Amino acid sequence: MTERDTDAASDIDLVRRAQAEDIDAFCLLAERYARRIYLLAAHYCRNTQDAEDLSQEVWLKAYQAVQTFRFDSSFYTWLRRITINSFLNHRRSSFFRSHGQTTAVQLLQIDSEEQEALFQSSSRSQENIYNKLLFESVVNALAELTPAQRLAFLLRHYEGMTYDEIATAMNCSIGTVKKGVWRAIGKLRARLSPESDEQETLTSLASEY
Amino acid sequence: MHNCKETRELFTELLLDGIDFRSDHAISVELSRCTECRSEFETLRATLRMTSRVTETAAPAEDYWPAYHSKLRQRLVDAQTPTTSRAQAQRHKEKLGPLFEPLRPGAGNSLFVRLLKTTLPVPLPLAVALVLIAALVIPFAIRAARKDVPASNTTTIVRVPVEVPVVQEKPVIQEKIVTRVVYRDRQPVVRATKRRGEASRAESTFAKSQRSRTEAVPASFAGFKPSDEVKLTVIKGGVPNEK
Repeated sequence: MTERDTDAASDIDLVRRAQAEDIDAFCLLAERYARRIYLLAAHYCRNTQDAEDLSQEVWLKAYQAVQTFRFDSSFYTWLRRITINSFLNHRRSSFFRSHGQTTAVQLLQIDSEEQEALFQSSSRSQENIYNKLLFESVVNALAELTPAQRLAFLLRHYEGMTYDEIATAMNCSIGTVKKGVWRAIGKLRARLSPESDEQETLTSLASEY
Repeated sequence: MHNCKETRELFTELLLDGIDFRSDHAISVELSRCTECRSEFETLRATLRMTSRVTETAAPAEDYWPAYHSKLRQRLVDAQTPTTSRAQAQRHKEKLGPLFEPLRPGAGNSLFVRLLKTTLPVPLPLAVALVLIAALVIPFAIRAARKDVPASNTTTIVRVPVEVPVVQEKPVIQEKIVTRVVYRDRQPVVRATKRRGEASRAESTFAKSQRSRTEAVPASFAGFKPSDEVKLTVIKGGVPNEK
């Protein structure tokens, strides 16, 4: 039995316990997948506080619906479906808190606990600042997309879903998904490619620190 | 034949899938033929690599997660309360068993009630179409049903009990009018005129005729039975120049 099989078996066991209203088991599942859900939310919302709220909302919905899980797919696949629906509903129901994205100034405020928690390293190394500026560039590029296009790109690139799976999950056509992904790639390429002006600015900014 | 557009689409999908172009011989050959495509490939690979790197660096620090999970646990506990009550209701139902299902207070889960409460998710356009069809068909169906009924049945005879008035005969007061003309002698005015002779002569002639008539048919009420009321009319006069 491989490690993946062990994890899957463990998932099934934890889900069964969660279906019997065992909160501890469900929290173990949450600890296992919370990072992936949070990162998806962070890229989607472009704001750490919104990402936390949205990811926790996903877990709450999953807990309330765990009785309906029929074990005909992996737990994460089922959870990802809830995540996508939550993202789309969140987009319909409210504006994101920031009405935009995290700015470079915010990212460079090391005293801010919220922004500090965003990054693993606490040192003000050149690489760290470069990463922060890089993150801002990615976020800015994604901000130019519609939420649906952004979500399609995130699911394709970060989650490795096929176009067919994304189209089914988002209830749209495969062509729409492809268009969104390609637009996202075009925006990212324009901002992050080595020959772009912004990339040069990033490098120079990072070297100054 | 090298096609730049197709090649770029192909290697983009490979990069998104995380597959290195070197593992795909066909792509490798295409890239070796076209320097532009190769350059584009390298750019795109660097871009996507940076995007992935951002994902790694954007992850919160490890000390972030305990607070996150404790907050999540608290929200789960708060959300569990209604779930627990549902579970308790389920256990109570199982304890009572199906035999006592109808006797259970507020038996909302009995078969009949469940059938009544059954809902089917129907798409809104379909629901609207069904309602419209029903609204169009029902009046025609009612009209057709009315036409099918035989004509004889359409005229219904309603027998209304008619009360025949009972005529009670009451005695009618019979009024009999008996008219008798009674002539009386008038006292002739004796005037000391020279026409006395004429008057006496006239009186004698008229009185004689009257006297003879009165004597012939005397006025009487024989055979007359008066009812409650007797109406007696006396007509004066009889002589054209009477005053």
